[in-house]
Amino acid sequence: MLAVLKKEFKSYFLSSIGYVVIGIFLFVFSVFFYLTTILYGSVDLGSLYFYTALYGLIIIAPILTMRMFAEERKSGTEQLILTSPVSMIGVVFGKFFAAMGVIVITLLISFIYFFIVRYFGNPNLSAVLVHMLGFILVSGAAISIGMFASSITENQIIAGVITIAFLVMTLFMQDVNTIFANASIMNFYSDFPSGVISLKEVLGLISFTAMFISFTIIVMQRRKLVK
Amino acid sequence: MIQVENVTKRYGNFTAVSNINFEIDEGEIVGFLGPNGAGKSTTMNMITGFIEPSEGKIIVDGYDISKKPKKAKKQIGYMPEGVPLYGDLTVKEFVTYMAELKGCESKTKKERVQKVIEETGLADVQNKLTKNLSRGYKQRVSMAGALVGDPKVIILDEPTVGLDPKQVTEIRALIKKLGKNHTVILSSHILSEVSQICNRVIIINKGKIIAIDTPENLENKVVGDNSIYVTVEDTEGKMENIKDKLSQIKDVRLISENEDKTKKYIITGEKDIDLRKNIFETFAKEGITIFEMKKADVTLEDAFMKLIDDTQKREEENTKIENDKESKEKVDKEERASDEKKENKNNKKLEKKEEKKKSKLRDENKKEEK
Repeated sequence: MLAVLKKEFKSYFLSSIGYVVIGIFLFVFSVFFYLTTILYGSVDLGSLYFYTALYGLIIIAPILTMRMFAEERKSGTEQLILTSPVSMIGVVFGKFFAAMGVIVITLLISFIYFFIVRYFGNPNLSAVLVHMLGFILVSGAAISIGMFASSITENQIIAGVITIAFLVMTLFMQDVNTIFANASIMNFYSDFPSGVISLKEVLGLISFTAMFISFTIIVMQRRKLVK
Repeated sequence: MIQVENVTKRYGNFTAVSNINFEIDEGEIVGFLGPNGAGKSTTMNMITGFIEPSEGKIIVDGYDISKKPKKAKKQIGYMPEGVPLYGDLTVKEFVTYMAELKGCESKTKKERVQKVIEETGLADVQNKLTKNLSRGYKQRVSMAGALVGDPKVIILDEPTVGLDPKQVTEIRALIKKLGKNHTVILSSHILSEVSQICNRVIIINKGKIIAIDTPENLENKVVGDNSIYVTVEDTEGKMENIKDKLSQIKDVRLISENEDKTKKYIITGEKDIDLRKNIFETFAKEGITIFEMKKADVTLEDAFMKLIDDTQKREEENTKIENDKESKEKVDKEERASDEKKENKNNKKLEKKEEKKKSKLRDENKKEEK
């Protein structure tokens, strides 16, 4: 797993993807920092992280994940991985954590906003850490969806579109019928902005992520049967 | 080292590989040979565990590839068809990544990577991105990826495709060197390559194994007769009676008459006798001048073509027999009609066969001229 993680993480920054992702993220952060914090003269960063997760992830998750398996399948490097003595579980987690690494880097940079606010007022550090925890969990869920989409196709664009469609549609589908409410990951991010860690939401997001990671592993393990 | 037992691979209704069996011993260099779409890559992919066989089992170094994939895969270095590489890694990074995937210990990793890079002649380009390399170098990088970690079995899918002649000889030399302490399996549709490198050849066509043997034996199998080509100047027309003068000659056939009034014959003698000396002496006595004399050799190419033709013919005959049976069950009238048709078909077939023979002769002549 470590070999895959290391290589994938490096790949993000060997190509421009890593920089683009961080750039877009920080842009979205800055926009909402102005809209939610500066404009209202507040020291609360909860809505900053909420809105960035809501809008940022729709763009970021597909960019980070669409090439994960689709590109390997298309270029044939999939053969190299599938014929080497590593388990599929290790490969999938390696790729997942590599993408999470990029998110974590962005979050570390987002401390800037905390320090800016601290210059003017007295923000609560532990609350910010809770926002970040929620942000990581939500990003994990979004990445797992994207990863699954990437594993079922060899076309990166399709993988990206599926991810965007899922993230956007689930936002609105709950208005059609409340049955769909639990399909939206943002519904598990309602207590974090107020600085509260709710066990229900943490478990919800983790199980959501676990589900899509398992789907990915199943798809990839079935590859050798259907190929 | 590798046992393949009753392995079949189906894609829906299409059978890519059907019920193949073979064994490969340690230290052998084995070549898979076959036309495009014969099932070479499918078989190799199954041995490496990339594809699961529909039926049968494959054992690599004592481990079943389906049941203990990790242990079995550790023994295998695989260079896939089309040389897939990670374009954004440098050569060194790529080989290091492959070493890590294969679970090399971090202590010896650096040394091993460096060793493989030198073995494959990549030292000069090791810091270049793989996507910027030429085809030949890419092939070598892919090979380095297969070799790193010292696997016992090395599987190379069409290792010399798309290389220039110099690179081809280099890669062949490298494979030969590897064969000394590894088991090597390679696929190719270049016959001379296989006969040069391999100890054993497995010929596959349409998913079935047609022959497993050494290249020499395969060539010998096809040598039917002992034939010699002679080009002579024969002004007195003595060639017609030459058969009576030399008892070992079974058959003399004229192939072509050249513009300079020389004639080319093919002389067939009994097996295991070299006729050339006798021909020279007798012809000299008879006053026939020999311009050229050459023993007809059989190459692996001929063996290959013949084996493939034979199996196709056999299949055609089988289907014909089945058709005949069916038609016999039908009413008499239909039977008569079908008989007539069959006769026509046979006639046509005979004609076709003759034509084939003629065209073959023509080809041979052309080769000779060259």
